[in-house]
Amino acid sequence: MSTRSTARPQAPAVPRRSKRTEILENRPVNLDGFVEEWPEVGMVAMDSPYDPRPGVRVRDGVIVEMDGRERKDFDFLDQFIADHAIDAEAAGRAMALSAVEIAHLLVDPKVSRRDVLAVSCGLTPAKLLEVVKTMNVVEMMMALQKMRARRTPANQGHSTSARDNPVQVAADAAEAGLRGFRELETTLGVVRYAPLVAIALQVGAQAGKPGVLTQCALEEATELELGMRGITGYAETISVYGTEAVFCDGDDTPWSKAFLASAYASRGIKMRFTSGTGSEVQMGNAEGRSMLYLEIRCILVAKGAGVQGLQNGSISCIGVPGAVPSGIRAVLAENLVASTVDLECASGNDQSFSHSDMRRTARLMPQLLPGTDFICSGYSAVPNYDNMFAGSNLDPEDFDDWNAIQRDLQVDGALRHVPEAEILAARSRAARALQGVFAHLGLAPITDREIEAVIYSHGSKELPPRDVLEDLKSAQSVMDRGVTGLDIVKGLEAGGFPDMAEALLGVLRQRVSGDLLHTSAILTPELTTLSAVNDANDYAGPGSGYRPSGARWEEMKRLRHVVSARNPEQEVG
Amino acid sequence: MADTVAARDGAASRTLSLVEKGPALPGRRSDEVVIGVSPAFGAFFSRTIVDIPHADVLRELLAGVEEQGVQARVIRLRSSADLAVIAHTAAKLSGSGIGIGILSRGTTMIHQKDLLRLSNLELFPQAPLMDLETFRRIGRNAARYAKGESPEPVPSRNDYMARPRWQAKAALLHIKETGFVQPDAGPVELDVLIRLADAG
Amino acid sequence: MSDAELDPQRDYPLASHRPELLRTPTGKRIDELTMAAVLAGEVAAEDLRIAPETLRLQAQIADSVGRPQLGQNFRRAAELTALPDDKVLGIYNALRPRASTRQELTAIADELEHDYSATLCARLVREAADVYERRGILAS
Repeated sequence: MSTRSTARPQAPAVPRRSKRTEILENRPVNLDGFVEEWPEVGMVAMDSPYDPRPGVRVRDGVIVEMDGRERKDFDFLDQFIADHAIDAEAAGRAMALSAVEIAHLLVDPKVSRRDVLAVSCGLTPAKLLEVVKTMNVVEMMMALQKMRARRTPANQGHSTSARDNPVQVAADAAEAGLRGFRELETTLGVVRYAPLVAIALQVGAQAGKPGVLTQCALEEATELELGMRGITGYAETISVYGTEAVFCDGDDTPWSKAFLASAYASRGIKMRFTSGTGSEVQMGNAEGRSMLYLEIRCILVAKGAGVQGLQNGSISCIGVPGAVPSGIRAVLAENLVASTVDLECASGNDQSFSHSDMRRTARLMPQLLPGTDFICSGYSAVPNYDNMFAGSNLDPEDFDDWNAIQRDLQVDGALRHVPEAEILAARSRAARALQGVFAHLGLAPITDREIEAVIYSHGSKELPPRDVLEDLKSAQSVMDRGVTGLDIVKGLEAGGFPDMAEALLGVLRQRVSGDLLHTSAILTPELTTLSAVNDANDYAGPGSGYRPSGARWEEMKRLRHVVSARNPEQEVG
Repeated sequence: MADTVAARDGAASRTLSLVEKGPALPGRRSDEVVIGVSPAFGAFFSRTIVDIPHADVLRELLAGVEEQGVQARVIRLRSSADLAVIAHTAAKLSGSGIGIGILSRGTTMIHQKDLLRLSNLELFPQAPLMDLETFRRIGRNAARYAKGESPEPVPSRNDYMARPRWQAKAALLHIKETGFVQPDAGPVELDVLIRLADAG
Repeated sequence: MSDAELDPQRDYPLASHRPELLRTPTGKRIDELTMAAVLAGEVAAEDLRIAPETLRLQAQIADSVGRPQLGQNFRRAAELTALPDDKVLGIYNALRPRASTRQELTAIADELEHDYSATLCARLVREAADVYERRGILAS
């Protein structure tokens, strides 16, 4: 080697690399972004020397000092959390426990969920951070299994279209409902399409399984308006942030958001807030705090606002914690803290996270294995190129993998394998029903050719383009004419889909009872409410809590290809 | 204060010079579009997140507006690095009520003065996917909104793998840009000079 | 009917177990909201809303399962049932940062209290006005 390098003097060449390095260089994981920690600006997951030390001082029932800050110096999050989220009476006793002692309460299955809540209601943000910092991911999963509010896990899907094609959104919503998703979310490429796509989602959702709840992610005031009209069934994109500056950039405060929470409830509409690690550092205003400390402040703002739940787990910022050390552990910790303060947790896994299938799966396991209220929030029920949330951690190409993992581990991920004939029938029903509703409401027509294409398509690339300007005019007319959910019900009936009309009316009727407003509520296909009130998590160690069994376990055993034991030349259907 | 940045890549590399003329005032002509750039655009930063020179970005936006027979004015927001604030401020200063906002890393938005700040006419959230053709079409569409037309929105490109690759770097770029925010400084009008760089 | 003593284990969900306690704000029973009634034009959008009494029942349930903040949210919501949609949206927008002066927020709180007996919501708005003033996020 040395003779060769000295014998042929020339310009320094690229150093020779091994074949193995070359193979590793080309692995998908090396397309992911990884960055160094920079705690001074908050580019650090959960272990920063600049996070405050926990502490609390209560005088006359009022928190006058919290985590090293005097009341007069509280920023608006501190004040909201101190006055609305923390039980000042419980604080003294709870804060006297060490972080390790509290972590033990969380992990130990013999300590009931209720006993943990008696402590967690008195903890400050810095203390909650210190508690989860003592835990590794396995301990956090043990804790999450117990602290999840609803006993039965569920899942949420995304149904969107790169062309905002309402026919596609309806068909994919129907398929998603059939596969097991109990909530479906959409959003838009072009915001003005919102009313049309929200109607499509609402209609499609009832074509698969009755009682699937739908939402459309929009600017807060517009989202509320669609909800009030009954064009959507619940809301989730009510973002909260962990620093005052970023909260204000989002054009809100804890008080405006608390008012919004009451506004939704006043119309009988379920809603949850959204937050996640990384948003503050991404917006350049982390005040030098760790991502998780700021997220815990968001969680407590949600608690204090009296909203029933929270979507967290970094969400749209996953590339930020995903790029720093211990970032995915911090994401699990977010979900755990939300559950530990008794909020519904829709636990992320909803944004493209990695080029590596191994990393994608590893990121999912901490929510899938213990189970959460909504494991994904959501799983892309359309191909990722059609996902207008910029891609999810999972998409339809992963359906069969998901079902196999459920079966391998006997873990309920709330989805199931569905034979193709049933799927095609549901897609067809959704598209035809939407055709009828659009005709009834005088909106831009849907052709039979579009329907035929959408039944058999995977994504928008295979669909005939729609007349976008006509669609946008229709969307505007939905708003101008004040179309409501009830008009959609009538359209379904008029179009010859009385059972779907009945299902949608059943969903709208839920507003009158308010049962869905409780923590972790979903609607069953029989249109009854299942929430943390009547389906409270009762995990208490081995042999207890939710375990897939009976008909559900039989359903989970089915896959696309399973060889028959009776006749190995056949597959079981 | 003048910022001159050179774009050195490619055959026709250009320099961008942005000279502050004074406070940005509301426009009086109804046939104008205001382009609002972020605090460090064409100053500390010279390229988008995928290394497209700011000189070329601005050239395409301006060309898109002007080819529709509409005037363009460029201003710099100094008090915020928030895209919605930048685009909405540009729209409010625009005689037509139509503004474009752009961040150094390339994220872009078309806004209209009567919309809520967090709403928009068109948003291009994924900076790594922005190419010159898209910038040209954004300029064109903004001009057509200014003329009272309803153009078909520029198709938003969607690469779901941009986030895992670029999001953390984007955060670092944004932190740097936020470092140039002067909270009390008003928007300033800019003279834009784009020249072919001298060879060599 | 808001005097009813509810047992969450027995009475929830109310739609299944205590439908007799539920009325729409327009006074209809929940079992009157049928498809036939919709087609006969006897159900309007206003019938698919929650009544303040129902929200107070749900608040009772939230309290008794250890969720006082949720219960308080339901009580504020009960007050807001009296407000038209655009008024609710208007107050929300007024509570955004730098959207209102102290006087404007105070006027909203007074209106909530005097015109709608919305004392909890009024308190929330007054509290916001104090905090916004201290933190410099009132409209100037």
